[in-house]
Amino acid sequence: MDDETKTILENLRKAVFEYDNDLAAKSATQSVEKEIDPLEALDVMTTAIREIGDAFGTGELWLPDLVGASDAMQSAVPILEKEIKKRGAHRESLGRVVAGTVFGDIHSIGKTMVATLLTAAGFEVHDLGVNVNAKGFIDAVSKYNANLVVMSALMTTTCVEQEKVVAELKKEGLREKVKIMVGGAAVTEEFAETIGADGYDPTAPGAVALAKKLLGK
Amino acid sequence: MAIKGYTRNFPPLKILSDEQIEQIHTGTLKVLKKTGVRFDSERALKLFEKNRCTVDYGSNRVRFPEALVEESLRSCPSRFHVQARNHENDMVWGGNTTYFQALAGTRTVDLDTWNPRTPTRKEYYNGITVLDALENVSIIPWYTPWFGFKNIPPVMAMPEGLAARLRNSSKFTCAGYSMGCEVFNIQMAQAAGTELRTMMAASPPLTFYDETIDAAYRIIEAGFILLPTSGCVYGGTAPATIAGSLISGNAEIIAGIIFAQLIKPGTRIIVQDFSFPQNMRTGAPAFGSIEISMHQAAFNQIWHWYGVPTDGAVCYPNSKMIDYQSGYEKAIIASIGALSGTNTIWIQGALYGELAFHPVQAIIDDDIAGMLGRFLGGVNVTEETMAKDVIDEVGPIPGHYLNTKHTRKWWKKEQFIPKSADRLTHPEWLKTGKKDCIELAREKYEEICETHRVNPPLTEHQEQDIEKILKEAREHYRKKGLISDAEWEYYQKDIASTGYPYE
Repeated sequence: MDDETKTILENLRKAVFEYDNDLAAKSATQSVEKEIDPLEALDVMTTAIREIGDAFGTGELWLPDLVGASDAMQSAVPILEKEIKKRGAHRESLGRVVAGTVFGDIHSIGKTMVATLLTAAGFEVHDLGVNVNAKGFIDAVSKYNANLVVMSALMTTTCVEQEKVVAELKKEGLREKVKIMVGGAAVTEEFAETIGADGYDPTAPGAVALAKKLLGK
Repeated sequence: MAIKGYTRNFPPLKILSDEQIEQIHTGTLKVLKKTGVRFDSERALKLFEKNRCTVDYGSNRVRFPEALVEESLRSCPSRFHVQARNHENDMVWGGNTTYFQALAGTRTVDLDTWNPRTPTRKEYYNGITVLDALENVSIIPWYTPWFGFKNIPPVMAMPEGLAARLRNSSKFTCAGYSMGCEVFNIQMAQAAGTELRTMMAASPPLTFYDETIDAAYRIIEAGFILLPTSGCVYGGTAPATIAGSLISGNAEIIAGIIFAQLIKPGTRIIVQDFSFPQNMRTGAPAFGSIEISMHQAAFNQIWHWYGVPTDGAVCYPNSKMIDYQSGYEKAIIASIGALSGTNTIWIQGALYGELAFHPVQAIIDDDIAGMLGRFLGGVNVTEETMAKDVIDEVGPIPGHYLNTKHTRKWWKKEQFIPKSADRLTHPEWLKTGKKDCIELAREKYEEICETHRVNPPLTEHQEQDIEKILKEAREHYRKKGLISDAEWEYYQKDIASTGYPYE
């Protein structure tokens, strides 16, 4: 590995640890220009965010660190993914996840925590953001060929929206293709069962363990 | 671990008007001049007589002229440096600084049955390790954590306790007096390279016994810090009113100050309010009462006016258990003490009055101390903390602050994070075994005992000196007949055991 390649990969790792979005995007672009294997570049960042996730799990790091690292990674991932696609390569992962906060709800923190920790654990996560309606989830499942849907709702008034997504997935014939996890402050185990979800966990690290279990990993 | 002291960045709470302070001050002067204070010491009486006081040798009563009171108060430094065994743990007492100190109890309690019992040697040493590890404990006073431990004759409790504190902590410590043990305490402190603070406790109403006076002479002559205190009980050993007990208690303290400043002008003084209302049902002090806070707030205000550092918040709860009552009693007394500007606050560890201590309680109390310390810092208003540019950059939803550099830089400076409080979400709490703060503190206790080590430990030379002084003290009290044959037998066995001195 030449020095320039080494520096670019080091910078991708550094960007995650220093929560530096600009450095992440710039290094990802340099990595593509230098024709570094985008899977290798992505792996460097995934390893870094796994370390951040572990440190969050042990209490050493906090939410702003997790979100900062996640943002940095998200600044680089689309650039690298485009290159992966261009090369016709395939990204190895524990599973393909679409994650979002349901329609009517704009609370992003819980969903972001879960998405970040899933990424850190080795899942390919497509974060749809907040206020995502049933159609948004359905389209993403098809587009990314997802096998796990992760939905968050903070409020009692919006957690019923999760039920709608489950119903729409059934209607579109996609229900058997995916596992569904729900979470958020207003959600309970009983509620998850009632709406026909496959699993619920009250914590973000617990959600990772649940995702692995559901996908048999 | 270096200690954490706090600076109060706003004016203290004032419970008295300026006129009320004057009234209490004038009343105190009148008691000192007309009623006087009893000193059971010929040496002290002669000292007072030589210095413009009126002395009645028949009743040992000393009456003090107003000018001497004022000169003596002026002679007390209003702010001074205090040296610990490790200089990183030194303090400055006075002005707007506040430090927290551990609060002792005679016995430990069983956390499952709440029955009290005498701690073992190992528990005693572990208790000190916990206090050394807690970031908000700046002072580990006399009798702390407990008044003694198993197999130790009562007369040796204080020297053995001080030796344990010097061995397992490098924070500032104190030593009491009883049966002349201050002689050995002073020697041990000097051997370990630390200063000491010792109480000069009046026996209310208006009396100092010879043992107290002799000990105070020794502490003052050693150049250490004196803590004149009134341990009056309103309605029992002082008037039932807060105003009356302030006058009576302050007269006792001022008499102690005059004594100290006559022996050695400039002696460092911190004054203590250790008074409680009388529980008119049981006859015991009514620990945990709100009147304690009223008394202490007034005390702190008056002594700020005198310009003498204060030790005016003693957070003894009435509760026999670590429970809701011990939490609110301690938190209220500590909060009012902190807001009224006391320089030191006794909080970590004690349960019912002076009768019990537990290190798990100390861990929980350390969070109260941390919360108050955070509050005393006040609201930091600067260009950067006002965050006007960040607010502009983030804007309305979907903007948020969790991913900003500003949040990452400031949130830990702005938020106090407790060590033992349960702060989980309800589902997490259910999932992780429904742990309360007592259980979390118990886990912390185990972790500290396992991992914490004093910094620095005593040198081999210091350890030898301390052991030599302890040996002299043991032989001294044995010769004086203050250690019985049975006590001596147990004691010698304990000293000869393989785990000595730590287990």
